Amino acid sequence: MFSTKFKKLQALPFAMFLALTVFAVNGLMADVASAKEVFAEQAFAEQAFAKEVLAEEGAEGEGEGEPAIEWSQDVFYKDWEGNPLKGPVSGAPAPDLGPNDYNKYDFAPSRILLWVANQQHLYFGSFVLAVPIFCMLIEFIGIRTKESDPVLSEKYDRLAHDLMKISLTAYSWTAILGGVLLFTFITLFPGFFKYMAGIFRPVMHVYALMFLAESGVLYVYYYGWDRMKDDQFLKWIHCSLSVLLNLIGTVLMYLANSWATFMQAPGGIDEQGRFLGNIWHVIHSTLWNPVGVHRILGNIVFGGGIVGAYAAYHYLSAKTPEEKAHYDWVCYIAMFIAIFGLIPLPFAGYWLMKEVYAFRQQMGITLMGGIMAWLFIIQAVMIGLLFFGANSYLHNSMARVRGSHRYMKYCKYMVLVLIVCFTAWMTPHTIVMTPAELKAMGGAQHPVVGHFGVMSAKNTAVNLMITTTIFCFLLYQRANKKITVKWAYIGNCWLTAIFVGAACNIVYLGVYGYFLPANQRVGLSVPQVTTTLTTLFAGTAINISMFKDSESYGDIEWGTQSRVGTYAIFLLAISFTWLMGLMGYIRSAVRLFWHVTEVLRDNGPDAYTLTIGEAGKMLTFNALFVWVQFGIVFWVGSLTGKKKVESAAPQGVPVPAQQQQ
Amino acid sequence: MLPEQQDILWTFVTLLFTVFSILVFINVIKNCRARPGVNAQKWGIVFGAFILLSLYQTNEMFSLNQQEQLGYVGNQVLTVFFILLTWGIFFKGENIESQSPPLIRVAFFYSTISILLAGYTNWLPQQRSDPPPKAVAFTGEVTMEEYADMGKVIVFGAKQVAGQKSIGKGQCPLCHTFDPGDNIGRCPNLFGVEERSHTRIKEDRYLNSPIAIGEKDGPSGIIKGKPDEIPEEYRRDGSPDLIGEDYLRESLMCPSCYVVVSYGKAGDTVSPMPLIHKPPISLSKFELNSVITWLQAKDTPGEFSKVTVPLPSPDDTASEEPAVDGGEAPIFATGTETPEEIVNLMGCPLCHTIPGVEGAVGELGPKLHEKINAPNRIKDARYEGSAKTTQEYVRESILNPSAYVVMNEEEGELFPDGVMPADFGSKLSINALNKLVEFISNTEESGS
Repeated sequence: MFSTKFKKLQALPFAMFLALTVFAVNGLMADVASAKEVFAEQAFAEQAFAKEVLAEEGAEGEGEGEPAIEWSQDVFYKDWEGNPLKGPVSGAPAPDLGPNDYNKYDFAPSRILLWVANQQHLYFGSFVLAVPIFCMLIEFIGIRTKESDPVLSEKYDRLAHDLMKISLTAYSWTAILGGVLLFTFITLFPGFFKYMAGIFRPVMHVYALMFLAESGVLYVYYYGWDRMKDDQFLKWIHCSLSVLLNLIGTVLMYLANSWATFMQAPGGIDEQGRFLGNIWHVIHSTLWNPVGVHRILGNIVFGGGIVGAYAAYHYLSAKTPEEKAHYDWVCYIAMFIAIFGLIPLPFAGYWLMKEVYAFRQQMGITLMGGIMAWLFIIQAVMIGLLFFGANSYLHNSMARVRGSHRYMKYCKYMVLVLIVCFTAWMTPHTIVMTPAELKAMGGAQHPVVGHFGVMSAKNTAVNLMITTTIFCFLLYQRANKKITVKWAYIGNCWLTAIFVGAACNIVYLGVYGYFLPANQRVGLSVPQVTTTLTTLFAGTAINISMFKDSESYGDIEWGTQSRVGTYAIFLLAISFTWLMGLMGYIRSAVRLFWHVTEVLRDNGPDAYTLTIGEAGKMLTFNALFVWVQFGIVFWVGSLTGKKKVESAAPQGVPVPAQQQQ
Repeated sequence: MLPEQQDILWTFVTLLFTVFSILVFINVIKNCRARPGVNAQKWGIVFGAFILLSLYQTNEMFSLNQQEQLGYVGNQVLTVFFILLTWGIFFKGENIESQSPPLIRVAFFYSTISILLAGYTNWLPQQRSDPPPKAVAFTGEVTMEEYADMGKVIVFGAKQVAGQKSIGKGQCPLCHTFDPGDNIGRCPNLFGVEERSHTRIKEDRYLNSPIAIGEKDGPSGIIKGKPDEIPEEYRRDGSPDLIGEDYLRESLMCPSCYVVVSYGKAGDTVSPMPLIHKPPISLSKFELNSVITWLQAKDTPGEFSKVTVPLPSPDDTASEEPAVDGGEAPIFATGTETPEEIVNLMGCPLCHTIPGVEGAVGELGPKLHEKINAPNRIKDARYEGSAKTTQEYVRESILNPSAYVVMNEEEGELFPDGVMPADFGSKLSINALNKLVEFISNTEESGS
């Protein structure tokens, strides 16, 4: 009876997951909320704070005449009429930093050292924030499949537990790297750090306390795993702990993000950099929400890449067929999660760029058309690499699915589409030329190839690449299924119509963009993205609906993944790592010679923007260095004792839920 | 990284190479022990020697600067190649079927991919962006042409690369275009803006939209259409009547006072343009007026009759020297100086011996006897620049010192690259640069 009651409570994790989602996208909610309400809330907070300050000043200066409160204008927030919001000056102005505010070691520039410390901490932070998300999902799936497939359920549970084990070592490592980062800041950039600490003083200890909470929940979650495993009620409590863990982790990440977003697009201070008394304004500056959402998705992708590479490595070194089958399956789960996060990632990036443009148009143009533009070309190459990697993995994975011969013939066409799109996607708008070359070409843009350098072509190319990947994934899903529903023909027609229609629409909108002015052309990306998302959601829904009562050509032959397919995972993992470093560099370097945009100028010797080559070498170093550390962390994690992989074939060969009928 | 420092990537890679040689050694010894017939001693010595060689090379790498490391890393790659070759011979010769451990294969894959990516970024055009000076200072009197030139440098920067958009301190070309018919759609084309400035202030839309004349713009605090109420430090002298120059100044200091149709936000009531006199651009009065001068003069080359901005006097900028800099305000030569003054202003004598300049006996860089030396260097096999004449070579050496690094004959090695600043392009006006090039091109050893 007890367990029956708790079956009804299975909605609880859903509700908690929903709460996490709502929390994560609260920026979206805020954006769509009535601006009037937002303003009223701001005004109320301002008034309340001002009253408080006045009361304190009044108490202190009683009998000394009128309290002297200086009010100043916020650099970002505006009132209902569009005038800068005012707040009581509550801090010192940003200092004009001099030589004494910058220290250095002889062996490397301070900026490079800070970059390394920051990037390494971010990589590990990203991983330890991503793993609890995976564990939450995987453990939940394990609970849900317990009755229908206990063997598979156990596999899911063990996978989640193994991932947490790795994450636990990485968690300590992250904290150490955080300490290194902090000391680097204090030692090498004391003037800048003093200013930032002054601004964020109200929440710095909250951040530290959140770490305590994160650690506490993490330890209970991990060490309580086996004890809470058998009782259904306790298992749900355990799963709920993962939700709590993710909530705390997300708060931690958002707090840390606020430093970076404040530096890039400050708010809550006046022109002189004086704090205006409202810490929420400082935290919740304009880029806070898009950066937060972008990082959550980025963490999922990056975490998927790391787990995938971890599993791929074990797959290559596995000694028994059972081990191979297990790690092949883990690779699949990790890649599924990574690609699941990868697909919406460009849209979050688009939202972030939109907010950057809204904050300062010249900042956006510096990114997309100024000194950072070449870095976006590199990003395009990296994204192309990711799509090639993802499709290569799916193509090779299909080969181990019985019945896939029906679809393998389409792979070459998909590769062709990817190559064509990739070529357009990476075509630069202009290139550096000698005057003679410029004259010979007749202008900065090539008369033919130059057309592929504009956003109309690039948006079209990337949307077609995503659509192709979605199509490839749908084929993978149905590779071992013989569709038996009565409406199979109609369903296939619908799928064909959706993808062909989508491709036509994307190309049409791309071509149409050439006939519109630039400011209107930008708007076409919305219907293009909507088209792509339609193929994802409608295509997947129809595809899965068609699996009802389908016959199987046979289970997936786990453990038979080809070498190429396995190395595709490594390619994805190193590409994610490099790309993450690249985008982080772009986001940070766009401040150019400012520590805090327009407020605190970087007067240090490293205030220049690196050449692309210098930056590229740093990115490669950071990527290789973090993987060396991951290797060490995984090795340390493996020292805690290896569980023997159960050999339970054929039942032991798991079939993911979405592959089952 | 500074030239004398080590390259962080190559230094790291050299360590990885050593770790690789140790891992190979361990693998070989493991295989030898697992098989009774294999001569463990022989193979141990061979692969132990590779470890020693790797350690030696790593030690060498730590003693080199980054330029030298780039050359030396090839030796290490060669060593790795020989390790792999010998490893293969070991497997083949001893009939060992197991392959290299996945750890090494994966590490190689990762290193190859990421180093190729670093190579790709180094293959692309390289452009370093230095922070702009806090405020431009100038020495001596300027002509109107020079004043307009300074404005042009603020708009486009001093360095211009074919096919690349040049962007100066003002950042204007990020959004604006200046030639007829050229429009990137972000902000209005400024061709003919001088002419428009006179008619626009009479248009109804200017008088009333988005705020009326006499009203205050919130973000900038500027009162529209009132030149006599512009902040004092930017205010022009003379009549309070609104003229074209005021429209241009107002557009720079208060972009939302008037927004050109279809280039604004919120129904063309808010301009996306930053306030030019505020951060991040923060033009001083002197700089802002030079930009207005250029805007008024640019459509009529060589003709300055439409310029209404008065020439500055040294007193105008004396007050703009940022006191907080402790006298280290960025320098700028306008071209009115003598060549010797330019040479001293740029600090050339600190490193170079320059005949004809008193006290120029620096020894850190090559002696500037360019009348004789430049033609020889152009013919040098190492020379990869584009100069054909002495003047072109000298100009290239000033603007891009790394284009050709001179050999220090006394030391038998190259002078260190990267020591000479690469930002003279932003410190010299076109006239100043021409003057300097002409002077340096004719320097020769005393008595020759």
